[in-house]
Amino acid sequence: MIKLENVTKTYKGDVPALRNADVDIAKGEFVFLVGASGSGKSTFLRLINREERPEVGNIYVAGKNILELSSWKVPYLRRNIGSVFQDFKLLTGKTVYENVAFALEVIGRPKHVVKTQVPAILELVGLGKKMESFPHELSGGEQQRVSIARAFVNRPLILLADEPTGNLDPATSVGIMRLLDRINRTGTTVLMATHDRSIVDTMRRRVIELDRGTIVRDQHRGVYE
Amino acid sequence: MALKVDYMVRETATNLVRNLSLTIASILTVAVSLSLVGGSVLLRYSVDNATQQWQGGIEFIVFMQPEATEQQTQAVERQLTESTQVERFEYFDQDATFEEFKDLFQNTPQIVESVTPDILPPSFRVVPVDKSAETIESLRSVFVTQPGVREVVAAFDSIRTIRNLSNLIGVGLFVVAGFLLLAATLLILNSIRMAMFARRREIEVMKLVGASNWFIRIPFMLEGVFQGVIGSAFAIGVVFGVQRVFDNIAADQRFSLFSGLVVDNQQVMTTSVFVMITGVLIGALGSAFAVSRFLDV
Repeated sequence: MIKLENVTKTYKGDVPALRNADVDIAKGEFVFLVGASGSGKSTFLRLINREERPEVGNIYVAGKNILELSSWKVPYLRRNIGSVFQDFKLLTGKTVYENVAFALEVIGRPKHVVKTQVPAILELVGLGKKMESFPHELSGGEQQRVSIARAFVNRPLILLADEPTGNLDPATSVGIMRLLDRINRTGTTVLMATHDRSIVDTMRRRVIELDRGTIVRDQHRGVYE
Repeated sequence: MALKVDYMVRETATNLVRNLSLTIASILTVAVSLSLVGGSVLLRYSVDNATQQWQGGIEFIVFMQPEATEQQTQAVERQLTESTQVERFEYFDQDATFEEFKDLFQNTPQIVESVTPDILPPSFRVVPVDKSAETIESLRSVFVTQPGVREVVAAFDSIRTIRNLSNLIGVGLFVVAGFLLLAATLLILNSIRMAMFARRREIEVMKLVGASNWFIRIPFMLEGVFQGVIGSAFAIGVVFGVQRVFDNIAADQRFSLFSGLVVDNQQVMTTSVFVMITGVLIGALGSAFAVSRFLDV
């Protein structure tokens, strides 16, 4: 599903954020990216939905070399990749329902699809009763559920999560991890960057560890370190 | 790519209102600059119209009495033909004069109605060999005394002065308008940039969920074009106002030199279309530049 071949990415005048990375992730896998801040986890995720381009190497998503995509096709790549962030990136002026509907509207989904899909996904993430609330009226965990709902409403093949529990307390984080696990069980490939030792150790999934841009460990059913 | 019209309209409207002061500034600058452009185009038209009788090197006109006899007219014609100082000349009979008159005053029918061909003077439009004031004066003195001649009007310097002055004013207006158009384009660019900044979070989300580039761009492009269109609509209002002013002058002073200072509806329409196209172009240009420069998708 995701394949990196000898990928190196350097930001201007800096040490490489990612160096000679070779990774192969199968469809339906759940993968943790671990490592210290600045070790290249976010760069890894940003390369996959082509927010960044590497200087060297090739990146394949669903069998296609995404570095060969012309820029007008990049949005179509991103429709197959959901993204979740530490800071949720919700639109404060829109309700929960509108935030999720927005993701479908801007890719031109017809109204009847929006009307059926949005309540269904909000029900799935446990926010069926808060559809008319605004983000500031929700707890951090609930806001992250909205952002996951938005990322998943279009049923992407891949879900990228950049420290999704970074702002949440441990109990809330567990709830979010259950949700991501549930999404993973539908066949969606999940790639999650995290600092959260207990989550990684509890889940026992594949772990890729980065140290200053280099992959130092790639372990199935791994632990944090 | 399914582009939803209602979405686009809603987004464009929201952007415009959110940034009201900058939007108004852009629209006013477009309006003022295009008014100057339109005004200078109209001025050019009107001067051409006013000096229509004087085109093609014609330096003086021998007006006959409307009731001049055939013999008198032929005598003047013979004299013009024989004169070594005359390069060529053209005879305008009463019907031709009436046609020209109708042409000049087509926007003021009350003037045209008050005139019939038989009260208009037929005339000889003369191109002399030598355009010096002395030659023209000597020719004038010869013809003005001929029987049947009503008067001899020479271009002298007045026509030339008007032409030069209008050229100068026209060029001046164009230069000022050019700078203002540039300012208008930059203002539109900036207001679009502000709009994009105000909505940067939405843009970020749109990119993340895979909205197509044009879906993100079009509301901003429409906003720029809208500013250009409203600005040029104001300017077109000014253009029509200028036409009214010219018409009033013409109606007040029907036989002076300024009586020719009119523009017909066709010319006003042409000018309006030109102004509108320019407005749309600078709106599209400003926003296209803002979008390509600051909306990195």
